[in-house]
Amino acid sequence: MLTKIIKRDGREVEFDRSKIAEAIFKAAQVLGGNNYEMAKDLAEKAEAHVEQAHPGIVPTVEQVQDAVEHTLIEHGHARTAKEYILYRAERTRVREMNTRLMKTLEDLTFKDAVDNDVKRENANIDGDTAMGTMLKYGSESAKQFYEMYVLNPRHSKAHREGDIHIHDLDFLTLTTTCCQIDIVKLFQDGFSTGHGFLREPNDIQSYSALACIAIQSNQNDQHGGQSIPNFDYGMAVGVAKTYARLYTKNLAKAAEILLDKVDMEERFKEIKARIYAETGKKPLLENSGEYCALERPYLAELVGEEAERLQQLAIKYAERETERATYQAMEALVHNLNTMHSRAGAQVPFSSINYGTDTSPEGRMVIKNILLAEDAGLGNGETPIFPIHIFKVKEGLNYKEGEPNYDLFKLACKVSAKRLFPNFSFIDAPFNLPYYKPGDYNTEVAYMGCRTRVMANHYDPSREITCGRGNLSFTSINLPRIAINAHGNVEWFFEDLERKVDLCIEQLTERFKIQAAKKVRNYPFLMGQGVWLDSEALGPDDSVEKVLGHGTLTIGFIGLAECLKALIGKHHGESAEAQNLGLEIVGYIRQRMDEESKKTGLNFSLIATPAEGLSGRFVRMDRKKFGTIPGVTDRDYYTNSFHVPVYHEINAFDKIRLEAPYHALTNGGHITYIEMDGDPLKNLEAFESVIRYMKECGIGYGSINHPVDRDPVCGYTGIIDEVCPRCGRRDGEGVSLERLHKLGLYRNLNADTLGYHGDAAEEADRRPNSL
Amino acid sequence: MSEKEMMIGEGIKFERIRRITGYLVGTLDRFNNGKRAEESDRVKHSVSGSLEHI
Repeated sequence: MLTKIIKRDGREVEFDRSKIAEAIFKAAQVLGGNNYEMAKDLAEKAEAHVEQAHPGIVPTVEQVQDAVEHTLIEHGHARTAKEYILYRAERTRVREMNTRLMKTLEDLTFKDAVDNDVKRENANIDGDTAMGTMLKYGSESAKQFYEMYVLNPRHSKAHREGDIHIHDLDFLTLTTTCCQIDIVKLFQDGFSTGHGFLREPNDIQSYSALACIAIQSNQNDQHGGQSIPNFDYGMAVGVAKTYARLYTKNLAKAAEILLDKVDMEERFKEIKARIYAETGKKPLLENSGEYCALERPYLAELVGEEAERLQQLAIKYAERETERATYQAMEALVHNLNTMHSRAGAQVPFSSINYGTDTSPEGRMVIKNILLAEDAGLGNGETPIFPIHIFKVKEGLNYKEGEPNYDLFKLACKVSAKRLFPNFSFIDAPFNLPYYKPGDYNTEVAYMGCRTRVMANHYDPSREITCGRGNLSFTSINLPRIAINAHGNVEWFFEDLERKVDLCIEQLTERFKIQAAKKVRNYPFLMGQGVWLDSEALGPDDSVEKVLGHGTLTIGFIGLAECLKALIGKHHGESAEAQNLGLEIVGYIRQRMDEESKKTGLNFSLIATPAEGLSGRFVRMDRKKFGTIPGVTDRDYYTNSFHVPVYHEINAFDKIRLEAPYHALTNGGHITYIEMDGDPLKNLEAFESVIRYMKECGIGYGSINHPVDRDPVCGYTGIIDEVCPRCGRRDGEGVSLERLHKLGLYRNLNADTLGYHGDAAEEADRRPNSL
Repeated sequence: MSEKEMMIGEGIKFERIRRITGYLVGTLDRFNNGKRAEESDRVKHSVSGSLEHI
């Protein structure tokens, strides 16, 4: 008789024969068996077998299970034995999953981000904080749960083995990726965050504050980034309101100072309201003449012949104060978006703002001041990380000398040369222009964060617009792996690519079904407040199925360069043949997306994958599988989407020309980068010529990278190699107070105040840089 | 302690803002391993000869 057994974790516990009988009975039940007595009898026989095979020792669980299998087969229960083996395998898998999960959680708990790549998967989450770690617990557990119980095993296997990568898998059953928020529409009549109602704002300060709140609220409803496609148009409404208010306020001030007439503001407001009711006119930043003429007779009744002089003063001060209020509002927005948190407090919202095409005086004031606020940087002059600024370039509006916003395009180049933002999007690109209708922001292409683009609409062809739409989910294909497996056989490569595309389409479709089954109340802001296109027509318990189709289901790809290397020995930066094959490969996936869209009426699209968490994962697995292949698996990352590899020596203009055709193919989003040497502020002409060349080549979205370093001690911003050019210290080194004083810094600092890094006097002196 | 002896900034690192996969990050410490490798491999793209191209 056995009395003890050794569990898998090494503990010795009481042996319980009924557990074996139970397991045998369960296996038999699957086959329709219901004889518990026989199960008990077989359990006894198995026990005897263990004692015979391992006399005198305490057996392990594994040894007992082996004995059960042996006993079942020996006594003619082969099929039951098979079920038992399956049952055992399943239990082992679950146990391993549990162990893997526990191991992941253990690492998250006890390892610092420095030693743990999982914690650094997303650079904008601080994995070392309490909320950052909590977020990762949830995320890692959800991923493993879905892999085990929710995902189609074929998709789960392909994902686990690195053939494909299902992005944001932790949100599989929960929500969708991103949305372009139409703030003009959202602010009309106010909105609710779910924690309180916000009235329609009346001042540029509140407009900017509410824009941040909208981004933050929506960020909590989706797993991707949030973007405002019409930032200038939206904020312009707030500027106009601010001007109208300040005009009347200054009119009253002037009356008091010049004419000793006190408390006139209410009377003037009444006049303003009456004129608006009768004619629809308000004081405007430009063309205030028309309004003033209407106002003058009423004003004259109160102040006599001084009316016109008061109006002139009011215009002068209202303009000045509106400009200042707008700058402050934009400054606040940049500060807020770098400091406010969402998602359990662990993450700054991924925010983007698109602007550049509003040519109204108010819109221009917004564009100018958001650029100046970005130029000035954060409290100590740091480069803001968010929002991503996207300047929309459009011929006729801001591209050429003499066009209304040309000055703002120049300013955008100058700010980007200092701060890396704005990026530049090109409405004139051949694939963006067909949607464009002058003056209608909804038809201007807008990009989301790192690159996502939404424009065509197979679900509702009458709604080929930007606002209220976004990506639903995306899955990327490991192109280099297919190429390695092809062993130079291009035909086979395309056959296997076809299989992978099929698999992704199937997986995206299954995920879409899960997403579409959700109800409005699962997305209280996105759907509950009508941010998503057509969601305003739905009630809280309606499913979102009817409106979700406006979004995109997207396939992405990683490592075109390594794929070409593996296939024909050269990447597209090296040979024209490779470029042609590259276009054929990407073109094939796009063609499949178009066909699928036509077939299903859903928006399947192709994205140049940004690869946030993926840049190292695929190559790590492939190196393990295939070893180190020069030019393919010999680096710690696969090249981003269709980019020419970052290590390849190439002229900026050649790079742009080579990458441009891929922009036309990747309708779900794309971006091209150029790395510029030195300080581009000192070579603005070259900076601008690169941006212009992007436009001329048909690039959709692009930006220029250059090093932006900063010494927090002396405040120097620019390029720092080894030694800070201003104060002369090395990384982590101290610098003498004497030297800082000579530089005019730390003037108020002495032995008593030491400890504060930053010079209060110098900070107070700072003004936004004139440009 | 005199001004000459008083040192400021010991242990304070330079901030290096870089763009990786579309997002700016204020410190390289938070990049994962693949991204660090990619950043260090980058070469500059020459912008000379721009006029010929336009």
